[in-house]
Amino acid sequence: MSSETKPEEKEEKVGVYICYCGGNISDHVDVEAVRDRVEKIPGVAVARTNMFMCSDPGQELIMEDLRDGIVDRVVVASCAPSLHEMTFRSAISRAGENPYIYEHANIREQVSWVHHGEQATDKATLLVSAATAKAVRLKPLEPIRVNAMSHATIIGGGIAGMRAAVDLADRGIEVALIEKSPFLGGQLALLDKLAPTREKASELVSHLASRVINHASIKVHSCTTVEHFEGYVGNFKVGIKKHPLESNAYKEKMKMLNPVHKSAEAFIPFAGVYSGPVPSAAEELVIDTGVIILATGIKSYTPYQGEYGYGEFPEVITLSDLIRNLAENNNGGSLLEINGRKIKSMAMIHCVGSRQIPGIHPEDASGHLNEYCSRTCCSALLNASNVIRETYPKTRVYEFYRDIRTYGRGQEELYEQASKNRVVFIRFESQEAPEVSKNGYSDEFPLLIKAKDILTFGEEVEVPVDLVVLATGVEPNEISKIVDMMKLPVGPDRFLLEVHPKLRPVELPVSGIFLAGTCQAPMDAGEACSGASGAAVKAAALLSRGYVELDPFVADVDIQKCNGTGACVEACLSDGALELVEMEIDGQKVQRAKVTPAFCLGCGACVAVCPENAIDVNGWTLKQYEAMVNAIVAE
Amino acid sequence: MTSMGISKGKILILATETCAYPGANSVGQAHSSYPTNTFILRVRAPVLFPEYFYLDCFKKGISGIIIMSCGEECPYEGAYHALAKRIDRVYKMMREKNLDIRRLRLTSICTVCNRAFLKEVNDMSVLIEEIGPPEVNAPTSG
Repeated sequence: MSSETKPEEKEEKVGVYICYCGGNISDHVDVEAVRDRVEKIPGVAVARTNMFMCSDPGQELIMEDLRDGIVDRVVVASCAPSLHEMTFRSAISRAGENPYIYEHANIREQVSWVHHGEQATDKATLLVSAATAKAVRLKPLEPIRVNAMSHATIIGGGIAGMRAAVDLADRGIEVALIEKSPFLGGQLALLDKLAPTREKASELVSHLASRVINHASIKVHSCTTVEHFEGYVGNFKVGIKKHPLESNAYKEKMKMLNPVHKSAEAFIPFAGVYSGPVPSAAEELVIDTGVIILATGIKSYTPYQGEYGYGEFPEVITLSDLIRNLAENNNGGSLLEINGRKIKSMAMIHCVGSRQIPGIHPEDASGHLNEYCSRTCCSALLNASNVIRETYPKTRVYEFYRDIRTYGRGQEELYEQASKNRVVFIRFESQEAPEVSKNGYSDEFPLLIKAKDILTFGEEVEVPVDLVVLATGVEPNEISKIVDMMKLPVGPDRFLLEVHPKLRPVELPVSGIFLAGTCQAPMDAGEACSGASGAAVKAAALLSRGYVELDPFVADVDIQKCNGTGACVEACLSDGALELVEMEIDGQKVQRAKVTPAFCLGCGACVAVCPENAIDVNGWTLKQYEAMVNAIVAE
Repeated sequence: MTSMGISKGKILILATETCAYPGANSVGQAHSSYPTNTFILRVRAPVLFPEYFYLDCFKKGISGIIIMSCGEECPYEGAYHALAKRIDRVYKMMREKNLDIRRLRLTSICTVCNRAFLKEVNDMSVLIEEIGPPEVNAPTSG
């Protein structure tokens, strides 16, 4: 029951630890001045600074003070709490103290990165002062332990989803793999020879899909969408719906299945691995699961009508179209042949639907611009150019590009190889994009491309061609329903946003939900598998103990103050979290509020309505907030 | 402790830990500057605060309060509506005490609502500069 320690009853010893963040904070906040000021605050036993408080030496400062009994409350002033709150709680635990005697002051994202000069130092001081005021009123808490199901749900059956599924299942964790289509393999199944090694995508997809389909611990739910979500880490409920073919967007691709292919594990080119029978009727199920991995992937950008002649001239196709044509129409001649036309001269245009610039490129119907680099198209396009030049030596290839970004191992060599293969490179400025038009000079080549080549100092170039290939970028799949249900953060680029790009790259702020593959950012198959394996390891580690510990930030009743009005029960937003129970106090039977912690959301709806101030949320009490306000307004 | 160089009226921002607080961090990551007289408190859900909390803040000298909630996206179902009703009652109490109700704003800020965040803090900063500090005399604490 509530026993908030009041500062006047016992003198708390607060340790304040202020981080320079390697200049990120100290370039704008006079960290030593903050230290000098806060060490004078009543209750502060010690105030220290460090270049990187999150480093081992920085954490050791805190742990040493705790072990020596110099401090019994800790305030760290550093970056956003989402990055290092857990780091410092963990350090406190390792020093043998309760991790909830900790408060965080965010003086990087909310001070040094947005304010400058003396006022930044002053504001940092006040925020540290407020955190200290709260820390004085913190009490040790015990986490709530709940059983965690040894089960993972993976949403998306592309390369990342399959990789994560196999990794988890191999560790003995049951897996439900949810895929909206009848096929496994995702975008990778729509490719052929992968850059830079020219491995067949079909072989990679088939290898993993075979393991998925045959693994005793993996259940594939194809033609399935996520419809409902509730619960918490270790105990999620995911409502799914299986769709029959009649209402399935993949009906056309299913026609590619001949009777021989209609068994599971068959790879259907440019569709994926058929994972089993399509449901004959709609069906809804609920999956009880401990963790969720999102592997919802990407789709290819579709050029708008008229973008480089797309949709206007049949000779303008996307890179995806070219890859499929190359795979399906190997005629063995010296000229590439596309749609029955021999290609003597072709143009490749980079950065279509990627690296879009406000004011230069038009927004799509929903007002979005793809300002990011799609990262894989340069290598994919160069790979295709090399394949064409090596297979069809009489087909001339011109690449129109803004920049070449072949960033991975073995990929710069593609660029060098393209030069050796006598691919002609023409570089254009983003504001002076190549123009594709009908060729009015000759019937030999149907299209003409005009561009200003900055490699030749702005010389105007006209290239007659048979074919134009657009290196279309990628966009995240439309998953707004899942985003809304699970309350997931989405970046301005519409990809899912990890907690931290470097320190926690596969975690989401919602505990127990992880990221795998291209739902996070454009990446190649190898990177998608790396991310997926990382997510699988994180998920397995979380489930390995058989239980998870939840923060003890739940309502707590002070029985001495409670007089059983029931206002809190009425205001409670979670069924079963609060009830009035009969108990005997001083020989009298009375009604008092009682919290069931496992059901309490910790929202505090009960706190505001109690006329006696007899209920509060552990770790986030009203008195703590009042003390913080007092510190902020202090003169 | 003194307020030192922060001479303008102070703005208290109650920012939800799942939406607005990471939203404020997103503004920081973008290095978008805003007035220094803004003090962000991380809250689980602003429904925790009773009516008198807001009035006490004004009495203590806070010039403006922006509640940056998750709005309809609130992870605690029903909390936003309970909060909105409470804020209506706070407005009524503010009127009774001749407090300009523009000093209290209930907003929804998401994790990437950088522009909305900046607009809210800048608007409130301009407002309190224009109307000055609050004057609350009657005791409010419940």
